Amino acid sequence: MKRCKTFFDIEKEEQWLNEQLQKGYRCTNISGLGIYTFEKTDKKYVMRLDYQDYLPKKKFNEYKGIYEDFSWNHIKGSWLGGIQYWQKEDDGQNQIFSDRQSRSNYYKRLMGYSSGLAIVFLLFSYMLYKDSGLYLAEGLWSMEGSLFWKAFLFETPFALLRLLPAIMAVFYGISYYKAYRKYSMLKE
Amino acid sequence: MKHKLLPLSETMHYILLALREPLHGYAVMQKIEKISNGTVNLAAGTLYGAIENLNKHGWIEPVGESGRRKVYMITEEGNAILKMEQDRLLHILSLYEGSESNEEV
Repeated sequence: MKRCKTFFDIEKEEQWLNEQLQKGYRCTNISGLGIYTFEKTDKKYVMRLDYQDYLPKKKFNEYKGIYEDFSWNHIKGSWLGGIQYWQKEDDGQNQIFSDRQSRSNYYKRLMGYSSGLAIVFLLFSYMLYKDSGLYLAEGLWSMEGSLFWKAFLFETPFALLRLLPAIMAVFYGISYYKAYRKYSMLKE
Repeated sequence: MKHKLLPLSETMHYILLALREPLHGYAVMQKIEKISNGTVNLAAGTLYGAIENLNKHGWIEPVGESGRRKVYMITEEGNAILKMEQDRLLHILSLYEGSESNEEV
């Protein structure tokens, strides 16, 4: 079974993945474009998502080695940084964090990740809009009557496309705020 | 200001105590399960992060390899931290006994 989905929230993604696994599947592959491959299984599996920044290859292997010792399988994730997808057979020891300190460090890493992306998309949006505004069509705003409305409607999908980086910035801003909320609750 | 890892969390405390002999990560978890009478079960991410953290602060260090696994052991600095924590906890325990210590006043 293949499913195509896009997530901006790592915890929602984790939740969705586990819902699929509870239906009797296990995940075999996740592609960069958001295609999740599952296969039927009789066993029960769980998935946990971690986030790591860039790790030198040696460090990354050590990181993976420790998880693998705990029988986690690495489904996806790169030493260059990003979300690390871990899956294992449900054996009652299904958490990757067992204390507050490590859980709050996880949210701290997430905060760094989403704020970084939010800033990148903000800068990108700024560069995109600073000279031209959202609508590129020449003389659009000086047209009149039905001609204006036709041109306006024609141009709107393109304008929305150009709005994408700003939307992404908002999404990552929201996930930063969510991670911050959880982080500060654990810090209490 | 106090070091940011002090007072030691239960996880850090047990890891430092376990690493008074050289062990690799997974063996640390197993030993802690035993010496805590099964009350402390470290998860993979917690163990990895804690080892990273303790290593970064120089309280433990890699001393070799067992297959592909790195073996760690406590450093002198780590031992000094344990001594400090022991004194702190002994003092708290003495308060449990009801002998209010006035020495430091």
